[in-house]
Parts: sequence; structure tokens; C-alpha cells
Amino acid sequence: MSHVSPPYGRRTFLKRLAWGASGAVLAPALLQACGRGPGGNTGDGAGDGGGDRGGELVISTFPLYIDPGAPGAPGSVERFSKDTGIRLRYVEDVNDVRQFFARIRPQLAAGQPLSQDLVVLTSWMAERLIRLGWVEPLPLADVPNARNLIPSLRNPSWDPQQRYSLPWQSGIAGIAYNIKATGRELRGIDDLFDPALKGRVSALLEMRDTMGLLMLADGKDIRRPTWEEAQPSFDRLEKARRDGQIRRFTGNDYQNDLLAGNLAACIGWSGDVAQLALEQPDLRFLVPESGGVLWADVMLMPKGARHRKEVAQWLNWVYDPIEAARIAAAVQYISPVEGVRDILAKDPATAALAASPLMFPDAAEQKRLHIFGPLSDSEEARWEERFARITEG
Amino acid sequence: MNRLGSLALGVWSALAYGLLYAPVVVTVLFSFNAPRGRFNLVWQGFTLENWRHPLRDAALTEAFFTSLGLAVAAALLAVLLGGLMALALGRARVRGSRSIELLLALPLTNPEIVLATALLNLFVGIDLPRGPLTLLLSHSLFCLSYAALILKARLAGFDPTLELAAQDLGAPPLAAFRRVTLPLLAPGILAATLLCFSLSFDDYVVSSFTAGEIVTLPLYLAGAFQREISPQIQVLSTLVLLVSAALLVLATPSRQSRS
Amino acid sequence: MLPLLALVPLSLSEPLSRFGLDTVFNGRIANYLEVLQTYGPILVRSFGFAAIATALGLVLAYPLAFAIRFRGGRWQPLLIGLVVLPSLTSYLVRAIAWTSLLGDNGPVLALVEALGLTGVLDGLGVLRDGRLLNTAAAVILGLTNNLLPFLVLPLVVAMERIDPRLLEAANDLHAGPLRSFVQVVWPLSLPGLGAGILLSLIPAAGDVVNPLFLGGPNERMIANTIDNLLLVQLQAPRAAALTLVLMALITLAVLLQLRGRGIEELPLP
Repeated sequence: MSHVSPPYGRRTFLKRLAWGASGAVLAPALLQACGRGPGGNTGDGAGDGGGDRGGELVISTFPLYIDPGAPGAPGSVERFSKDTGIRLRYVEDVNDVRQFFARIRPQLAAGQPLSQDLVVLTSWMAERLIRLGWVEPLPLADVPNARNLIPSLRNPSWDPQQRYSLPWQSGIAGIAYNIKATGRELRGIDDLFDPALKGRVSALLEMRDTMGLLMLADGKDIRRPTWEEAQPSFDRLEKARRDGQIRRFTGNDYQNDLLAGNLAACIGWSGDVAQLALEQPDLRFLVPESGGVLWADVMLMPKGARHRKEVAQWLNWVYDPIEAARIAAAVQYISPVEGVRDILAKDPATAALAASPLMFPDAAEQKRLHIFGPLSDSEEARWEERFARITEG
Repeated sequence: MNRLGSLALGVWSALAYGLLYAPVVVTVLFSFNAPRGRFNLVWQGFTLENWRHPLRDAALTEAFFTSLGLAVAAALLAVLLGGLMALALGRARVRGSRSIELLLALPLTNPEIVLATALLNLFVGIDLPRGPLTLLLSHSLFCLSYAALILKARLAGFDPTLELAAQDLGAPPLAAFRRVTLPLLAPGILAATLLCFSLSFDDYVVSSFTAGEIVTLPLYLAGAFQREISPQIQVLSTLVLLVSAALLVLATPSRQSRS
Repeated sequence: MLPLLALVPLSLSEPLSRFGLDTVFNGRIANYLEVLQTYGPILVRSFGFAAIATALGLVLAYPLAFAIRFRGGRWQPLLIGLVVLPSLTSYLVRAIAWTSLLGDNGPVLALVEALGLTGVLDGLGVLRDGRLLNTAAAVILGLTNNLLPFLVLPLVVAMERIDPRLLEAANDLHAGPLRSFVQVVWPLSLPGLGAGILLSLIPAAGDVVNPLFLGGPNERMIANTIDNLLLVQLQAPRAAALTLVLMALITLAVLLQLRGRGIEELPLP
């Protein structure tokens, strides 16, 4: 009876000390959740149960995806509550977007509201929820700071009118490698298929990132991905897996293997590798010659969410460049908020981050980044099935 | 020849313990490692730093105690219900009780994810919000089969006329149960409780669907391992081992004196 | 039990939409054919891994149980406790520890290299290109570690029922140690063997963690597939069909093992 599902999500990382402090932030929510006792009152919406708790804001998101704060220096969660008087329950319970979807699906399908007012999910999952009609339009009229959204993430394919979603953070899927293990600089996707690296390469279980990079290397347009155009990339991946070129398909755990020396090169995420390189200087992150995959995690209001006013206040607050800069400095992905770079550059402690091409890709670099476009329901089913046959043996 | 045999047996047994303890030894060892970054995976050097405040990671500690409480409650509930089922099955010498046993064993053959999604659909269907109650119910449920089977096996070796004899001697039924049946069941109850405890304590999949916003230890670990492998996790694991080992050693002589 | 019964109609249905929960029952037996055709090899692999791990576990567990029962003396309860103790470390933590042990730069490979066994083990298919992590051998090792307590405990309980005086009697009759083992201990320990095999084979065949952490794409087991069908491919009817196939196979194995005896006759701990 010992089961775990693969960690699919792309998450960011902070120092242990900081993590301990975020535990202190979470503790009250936990105590509240546990203190109710098994036989206790279930009417006020413990868990995903829904219900109005007035003046409160409940957010579900990925673990450690915000500045956690430290003793004497409160994190964003605390500061927001203090600034607005809103009781914020910031719950880091999205370990895996697919599992989260499976968790919320029965309620949304039955037309019952969730207890969450806002959820942070990967863009392709956002697209799915929008298409299913399981989200509310965001109260953007009350979010003046939404104009700070950077141009490259405006009117994205998953939400063309920008009605339902605002990005939380964004990042790049590309190649991570250990230069000592590869013995040379890598240039593109073809290097992952170099026989010299046989059995020391991994790819991501996140289909759109792995397939996106392979299709870009094939010269395909991933903004409008088609089944036919994907076949050569599927075939190439399948062959590499059969030949033992690809050792594993991973979630975030490629980081363990990179550090322990079990991998020489792999497909990975920019923010992870930027931070890993601090402890292992031989690690490099590369946007392949043929282009990288730009992804985004976005904020959505699930159908029936009650606290629209509080949601608007939160969105406006995190889209304030000063607050957004604090979050960006902690998580080190691409901030969706204009002006963050200037703020980071002014502070000597964060000036180095402002110069990072992984956090602030310049115009030339941005041209090489592509967002994986939407797949129709039936297309996605075919894609997932073929991909699963390759990755799941 | 005999001595050689004993030696071989000893060496072989040591090998078996070696396999059992290999990952545990690594865990204990890495609780003394000084990792360079967020992943305590590669040996860097010895330190006592991690042990200075063994419970410093508040979220980890909180999750640990949540799981501990849950596992105790779920094990007790499962053993209580499982015991009643076993008694009912054992008493009613009906035809088809063997098929019922098979039905009891069936859930054991079931991948957890299947039970997890089925339970979630059920809880949503009856509009029971996910939280402590659903977590406890679902844990008790997957422990129930184990508890019932173990207790049933224990009951099978027990002569029902003993209890009747006690009643004939004037003991009221409840007293007869308490004086005769319960002590005979005790080893089975202990084994079932321990097994259920460890099943609940280690459960990830069912919890992830029925816990609502409660974070159990495996849920916490699965999330944490995506971003770091903190030595505090190994410290906590080592502490649990030490405490259990101490309890084990304390329990040993008392058992001896009884026999 | 009810959720399990609901699997039967579900396994014969078709989803109405890709993301909705509603399915339409249309007696779609093709679900079974499709999963057997597609995932048959993974089913075979799962039972193969579980069987090898159980066999390997028995080779270790049987002598250990014997030693605990007949040589343990007053330490017997402690020795039994020591078998259970490692289970208190979360399996996730243990899986991480295994990756440290079995990794390319880990101590196990270093030992193999020092003993000059790399070539031999590679030839035997235990290592793959001189590597151990993310191979079948690593998954089986992890499984063996997990199921060892489930083998040892029933064996000790069964041997508990062997009266030591029987052994003395055999000795008095000048039976050699081998003979008294074959004629006294072995037959009397058989029920424990049966129970142990059941308790270890079932969870091992349905394991998710070991293939995920210690295996690669060639080592995925059937519960990983069911996970994927439910969470990624969103094919609940096929997942139900595969689950029922798995349950049927395990039940068959259990019935063969019991061969008409009741479960209560097995010396469960």
C-alpha cells in the first residue's frame, strides 16, 4: 500500500531556513484544519467542501511558489493579510496538476462550488477548465495593476480575451546539463541523442514541454500543434527510449539525478536549474538553438467562487511591481509583471538577478521562446495515449 | 558440521537484516550530512548541525504529528470494526462464510488509486466535505480488510466452547468476553493495530484525494521532495526509529518475565 | 466493497466526454481486449518482478525466521521487532535512500567494481551498461526490501507452532540435522510459507513507488499504468477493466495457494 504519483509540477526552491519560516505561516491554517476533530462540525466547509466564510480568501497553489518570509521579515502571505485585513488561507496543496484536476472534477462537474476562491494551475490545465466552463471571469475591472502584465504573456492562446486568467509565474523548458559529465558545451536537442550520452539523458513527463522541444527541433510550429506533424518527434522519442538513450522520464526529480551524477543532460526547467547551479557550478541551462518552450502557471477563479472582491484585491496586490519583485527574487522564474527588473536592479542584494537571462530574456531571446498551443479534446486524448506508451512502457 | 551450519545461518541472517536496514542506515547517516544546497543526496561531510534543533522544520513536524494522530485513530477504528466483523464471521458458522472472506481479501488486490477516486466520488455524492472525517473514514476503510483478516485468523485457532464454559461457570457474557476472548485475541489485536498503523502512516494516494486541506506526512514529503531533500526529514526519521527501538527494548524483558 | 462492485459496469462503459465524469454503459467488452493487448506485457512484467522479489525474499527470510525461532532464545521478541522497525521509516524516505545507494556514483556499484564483478553482472543482465539505478534489478531489490517483513512474520508464527521436543526426538532417533529439517521443520512451516507469499506477492504486484523511483520506462508496473489511465489519459472505463483483470489474476493466485483451505488456516501474524 505504498503509492506515490510522479511529481509533474515545476516548482521552485528556496533555502531550508526560508522553508522553515513558511511552515510557521502555514501552521495556523493546519491547526485550524486539524483542530476541528474527526467527529466535528463539517458544515463550514472543511476541505474542498465549499461554503461561505466571509472576509476570507482561499488560494490553492504549488508548494513553495512565493517568498516565505523570515523572522522579522514577513512574507507576501503575511503582508497581504496585514495590508488588507483579509484572512488569507494560502494552501500549498497542488503537488501535481493532474491529480488536483481529478480531485476537483467531481465537485465542478456536479455544479458544486469549491472552497477555493483562486487556484494556480499550469496554462494547459487552465485552458481545459476554461473550455469546460468551470471557471469564473476574473474581476479585472477592479484590478488596475493588471495593466502591468508583460506583453509576451498578453492574450495567450489558452485565454485569448484575457478574461479568465492572469499569469502567476512563467518559465522556460530547455536543456540542463553537467559540463563535466558531457565533456563539452551542448547546443541543441540533437545533443540529447548523442550516443556518447547513452543512458545518461532524461526527458520530462510533462508532454507539452518534451514534445514541444522535440517538435521545435524538427522545425514545426508548436503554437498550432498537429497530430501529423508530431509523429516524427514521437517516433524519435520512442526510438531513443527503446535504445536506452533515455534513462528516465521525470517530474522535478531530474534535479536529484543531475546532482548525484546519474544524468549528464536532461530536459528541465529554467528556475530549478538557475538555483541548482548555485550549489553545483558545473550545471548549465540552455535554450536550444531550435527554440525553447515558454510555459506559464496562471491564476483562475473556479466556478462559484464567492470572494470576488478579495480576489481582486489579491490580484492587484501581486501585480504591484514592488510586491511582484519580492516574489520574483524568491522563486527566480520569469515574473509576469512589468517593472520588476528595474526594482531588482536598484537593490544591490538582487542586482545579479536583474541581469539573469533566464529571468529576463531579452527581445532576441524571447523570439526563440514558444508557447505550446491548444489541443482539441480528441487530439489531446491521442497525444496523451501515444506519449504514455512511450514513457510508461 | 553443526557449528558450521550455525555460523552459516548467522551470516545469512545478518545478510537479511542487512538488506532490511540498508536504506535505513543511509537515512540515519545522511541526518549527519552537511549538504551544499537544497538536496541532501550526496555525502559532503559530517555535522551535528541538523540535530541541534531536530524539530525546527515546523511544517514537517506538524505533518508528522497529524499523521501520527491519524494513524492511531484509523488503526483503532479499523481494529474495532474488523474485530466485530471477525467475531460475527467466526460465530455465525454459516455457509458461504468462505466467500465472505474472499470478499474481505479482494480490496487488498486493488491499486490504491482506484479506491481513492471511488471514495472521492462517494464523498462528493453524499456532500461530505473533505477534511478530518473523510480522511479518517477512508484510512479506516483500507485498513479494515487487513484487520478483519488477521483477527479472523486468530479467532480460528480459538475454541468457542471456552467462552461458553466461562458462561456456564456463571460469568456474564460481557465478562466472559473480557476474561476469555479478549486475552486470546490480544496478540492478533496488537499485530493488526501495528499493521494498520503503518499502512495509514505511510498512505499517500488515498490521502491526496480525501484529505481536503490537511497535510499528512506522506503528502508533505511528496510535495517537499519536488523542491528539496532537507536533512530535517532524515533527522525526523531517525528520531522515530530511535524512539521505536527504545520502546522495543523496553518491551522485551517484560515479555520474557511473563513467559 | 460497493466501490469495487461499481467497477464492473464502469469497465463495460464508454466515457461520454473526455473530461466529464459521465460514462454510458454499452457493454463495451473491447475495453478488456484493448487493455490486455496494450498492457499485457506490463501485467506479465508486474507478476514477474513480484515473483522474483518474493523468491529472493524467501531465500533470505526462511533462514532468518528459522534462526529467530530456534536460535533466538530470549532475544526472540527483539529480533522480531527489528524485522518490523524499518517499516516505520516512510517509504518515500527509503526510496530516496535507495537511489543514493544504487546510483552511478553510489557505494554498491563501487563495491561491484572493486570485486571485479561489473562485467559478469552486466553479462547476466543485472547491470545495464554498468549501471544499476533505473534497472529491473534495482526495482526488484526495492521490492524485496519492502516485502521481507511480510515473509518473515508468518514464517516465525508458523514455526512457533513446531514443538522443539519434536526436533529433540528426531535427534534422539539419530536423524541428521538435514533430515530432521526436511521431515519436521519444513512440512510444519509450509502454512507460514503460503501466508507469507500471499502477503508479499499481492502488494508487490501492485507497487507504484519502486518502479517510479528505482526503475526506468522499461520497468513500469501495472499500478503505474492504472494511475496513468485515470489521471493522465482520463480513461476510467479502461482503468476499471485493467483493475478487474489484475484483481482476477491475484484472486486466482490466492485460490491456487489456498487450494480449498480457508484463509483462517494460514498462520497470519
